Amino acid sequence: MKVTYNWLKEHVNIALSPEELAAKMTKSGFEVEEIAYQNQHLHHVVVGKILKIEKHPQADRLVVCQVDIGDKTTQIITAATNVFEGAVVPVSLPGADLVNGVKIQPTKMRGVESNGMFCSGQELGIDENYFEGAGVDGILILPGDMKIGQPIEKALMLDDVVFDVYITPNRPDCLSVVGLAREIAAMLGESVKKINLNYPIDIYSKETVHDFVEVENATENCSRYCMGAVKDVKIERSPLWMRARLNAVGIKPIDTIVDITNYVLVEMGQPLHAFDRSLIDGGKIIVRQAESGEKLEALNGQSYTLDEKDIVIADSKKPMVLAGIIGGTNSCINSQTKTVVIESAVFDLKSIRTSSRKYGIRTDSSARNEKGINLASAEDGLLRALCLISKLGCGKIVRGVIDKARGENGWRNLTSSVRKINDILGVEIAAKDISRILASLSIENRVVGDKIECKIPPYREDIENDNDLAEEVIRLYGYDVYDNTDNVLFKNSPITESIPNKRYNLERTCRNLLVNEGFYEIMTFTFGGKDFVKKLMLTDQRANPIKISNPLGENFAYMRTTMATSILQTAAYNLSVGNKQMRLFECGKVYLSEQEKLSTLPCEPNMLAMFVCEEGFDFFNFKNVIEKLLAGVGEISVERSSEPYLHPGISADIFVNGQKVGHFGKLHPMVVKNYELPANSYYGQVCTLELSQMPEKKIVLKQVSKFPNVERDLAVVVDEDVQVGQMLEAIKSACGKLYFDASLFDVYRNQSLGESKKSLAFNIILSDENKTLTDEEIAKVMAKVLKSLQYRFGAVLR
Amino acid sequence: MEEELLKIKQEIGEAVESVENKKQLADVKVAFLGKAGKLTAVLKGMRDVPNEDRPRIGALVNEVRALVEEKIFQKEEELNQQELAEKLKCEKVDITMPSVGIKKGALHPVTSMTDRLMDICVNLGFSIIEGPEIESDYYNFEAVNTPKSHPARDMQDSFYFTDNILLRTQTTAVQARAMETLKPPFKIVVPGKTYRNDSDATHSPMFNQLEGLVVDENVSMADLKIMLSVMMKRLFGQDTLIRFRPSYFPFTEPSIEVDVSCPQCHGQGCKLCKNSGYLELLGAGVVNPKVLDFNGIDSKKYKGFAFGFGIDRASMLFTGNTDMRSLFKNDIRFLKQSR
Repeated sequence: MKVTYNWLKEHVNIALSPEELAAKMTKSGFEVEEIAYQNQHLHHVVVGKILKIEKHPQADRLVVCQVDIGDKTTQIITAATNVFEGAVVPVSLPGADLVNGVKIQPTKMRGVESNGMFCSGQELGIDENYFEGAGVDGILILPGDMKIGQPIEKALMLDDVVFDVYITPNRPDCLSVVGLAREIAAMLGESVKKINLNYPIDIYSKETVHDFVEVENATENCSRYCMGAVKDVKIERSPLWMRARLNAVGIKPIDTIVDITNYVLVEMGQPLHAFDRSLIDGGKIIVRQAESGEKLEALNGQSYTLDEKDIVIADSKKPMVLAGIIGGTNSCINSQTKTVVIESAVFDLKSIRTSSRKYGIRTDSSARNEKGINLASAEDGLLRALCLISKLGCGKIVRGVIDKARGENGWRNLTSSVRKINDILGVEIAAKDISRILASLSIENRVVGDKIECKIPPYREDIENDNDLAEEVIRLYGYDVYDNTDNVLFKNSPITESIPNKRYNLERTCRNLLVNEGFYEIMTFTFGGKDFVKKLMLTDQRANPIKISNPLGENFAYMRTTMATSILQTAAYNLSVGNKQMRLFECGKVYLSEQEKLSTLPCEPNMLAMFVCEEGFDFFNFKNVIEKLLAGVGEISVERSSEPYLHPGISADIFVNGQKVGHFGKLHPMVVKNYELPANSYYGQVCTLELSQMPEKKIVLKQVSKFPNVERDLAVVVDEDVQVGQMLEAIKSACGKLYFDASLFDVYRNQSLGESKKSLAFNIILSDENKTLTDEEIAKVMAKVLKSLQYRFGAVLR
Repeated sequence: MEEELLKIKQEIGEAVESVENKKQLADVKVAFLGKAGKLTAVLKGMRDVPNEDRPRIGALVNEVRALVEEKIFQKEEELNQQELAEKLKCEKVDITMPSVGIKKGALHPVTSMTDRLMDICVNLGFSIIEGPEIESDYYNFEAVNTPKSHPARDMQDSFYFTDNILLRTQTTAVQARAMETLKPPFKIVVPGKTYRNDSDATHSPMFNQLEGLVVDENVSMADLKIMLSVMMKRLFGQDTLIRFRPSYFPFTEPSIEVDVSCPQCHGQGCKLCKNSGYLELLGAGVVNPKVLDFNGIDSKKYKGFAFGFGIDRASMLFTGNTDMRSLFKNDIRFLKQSR
């Protein structure tokens, strides 16, 4: 919220500089996000009077002016055509640094000296709304009675300092100059000045507000509705001081009545609405819920069709205002307006919020109303407006105000204790300091022993419990009390055991292993477009990703159902920028639901995905990585995979302890084409959630045999389709108790072996715990192995 | 005979002395100890030595033989040493040539930071827990004192699936879940992805947050201060300072913003901290008793404090990275730097 230094000073004595004040406010919970000096670009600009204008001897389009700038006369050359002898104008002198970037220096124009420049309104940063003549194409001609030589910032009232203050959502009471002044008073140990709500009325007139308007409050959602009437209204430009205030806080000055309502909004935080009395049919205001289908032509030029959830201000025939949000064109102030009735009301903040969101209308009024307005503010706001109307002389105030209130919110009692407050804060603040601070915030309080009995002012609806009071105390006592705290950590709190997170730990181990295997970890958005379904040829549940209803765009609308989409996109991006060889991995979630429209939360399994495209890398390199990754988890086995996006012949499903946990292999040729990746691209994934839920791998260490192992090699020829894994299993079982290890050490293919044949050479290690094996025993086992391979796989000894 | 032995004793020294290589040494060995060697020849004459002289001559023979063998052995050792030295002199690699094998990859900067933070928190007795990213409105807002009409929430900020299911906007969503299931005292830390509907140079629609929550009978704002101070020192170095500023969050009361002394200039003021010496990094506060009570923890008995901050931002401060978007672009040339 924007407020100005001078405006605040009108309500509280401030001896601090703007910077000091801002620092103090920030420390007390009202962060000043920006301090703007209105005169930042107005230094060395003064009011001058053109005494004499002569033609430039060398240039037809230039004139040479002698200008009175107060203490002296100076010569300025201009090309402006709207200047005349006797004109009072803004003069920028050497040293000036104007808002448009122009820096003024003494110069010579076609050989004639010029010591400054006349300014247009634009060059001073103001427009026609702010000051008459500021909008013309040419120099701003100032009123002739302005004091010559005075700084322009004074003459045009552009000498204020504007603070942009962040008001936290719990403090709607501070969304006004008065509210902030109240806080500043507490910070500085001052008290706020009483605001003038008085105005004279014509004591001889018998007219009262009821002769002009009646009000019926017909909805629960309006807790107070106040209204006053003003006759003989003059709609004109409001005085400069008021325009200056509004302009400083970013509100466009319009005319007396509108400016006053805006002024009260900023000053008191109370939104007002002014109606032209003559446009109210039947002379009666009805505050009610809208009827479904009712239409309103709003002041923003749009037409809205309302429903029962909206509150409207209507007369007997039509809705005139979408309450608390925007007025209608059918009843607004115009140049013909003679009599005005002014509304100052409190509406239900939820209703305002809902309607404002529904129609996408955000006005200063709605922004204020949806945060909640105190009941007392409605009457004060109205009185302040009437007071200003009277002060500006732009209307005659009619006696009396209408006040339709439902319930009231007065001062509330709250009992707390010094001990409780200090326990929350963990510091020792004396009872008298607590009491003093609360009192400075207008929280009336009485300390009785440890107890503090408080009366909370009605506008502090945010204060409900001990913690709320503790916050009030500490923010004004000062958080720097903690700067030198040398307490022991968790002095009064027992040790808590850190319960290991198995999934996190497993992923961390995997991540570190993959890094050592040359992989780079990536982190991608978990949502994207839907094209991945086609590109990855998905047909199962993964083909129906969950959709975000308000995404950043269609390309960010779908939650991923597979990690493949993210990692392949990243690979494609890297290829496009020239990174050709890569090993990537990502730990993340996929999001799966069978529901078209979510009614329960979806499944979010944690996955680890890997991608490799690298010269010379093949399926078995990948298998090695998978083995290293999972060896610590359990017993690994593989089966041919039918993942749609993997190459059917060069891919495997991964099983750990017999449970399917993932898959890996070469990417399907169609998929690499879809993602514009090299043919030799590999993808794999494991579900780290499932892996982390497996029982911990148990390692049992047996003693090795004291007797020497026996090694034998065996080479057999089999059909190409025979799987080595199954042969190794067969060898193991044929060896029985004597089995120690078996491995494949050579694969040989040659025409001489026959069509679609391969020769496999195995190294078999036998061992007996109790004795050295005899040749006979060895021969017997090897024969059994060979027989088994012959029988099960048609193997022929080579 | 004695004379010959003494002569051999003298000659062996000279003979070994003049040897330059193993071949010559072998010749010397043959010349003295071989079948036709000098010493062998002398020994053959032992038969003619009178009995009374035998013990003395015998001793002399043994002495000379030992000397000869010793001299030859010594020389052999010497030659071996020389040979090895020569060999080592020739065997040399260019140690600046690149290593062979798979080059190390790298963790993502955000995960590195997460791991760091988890280590710090786990050491302080925190348990790492997680919650769903697609979350109910109840846990994300309602259960942490942000009911539907609350001004602190804005439809524009969240990604919704339905009126009641959304991408969580804060890891605070896990607070309520934890309070429902854990029995105090407990300390939990929640790292994870969070989502908000805005996107520019400093905001990513997906970002990573860390949420900490401590619930116990006697914890206070002072504990929060000391604990965060310890954490930030471990993260950014022992000379790191933190300071509190009042703020507002629906789930904490009092609420604070925590500024951390700039890790780049150590509070002196630089471009990174916009000359303030401090950076705004965390939000924190004492758990609002309403939140405790709402989630089934008796606020008369228990208190708590909570803190939260952006892991991405912490990572950026730590590494001097100025563009948040680079974190999710995953260009290997960028990632390689943290190898």
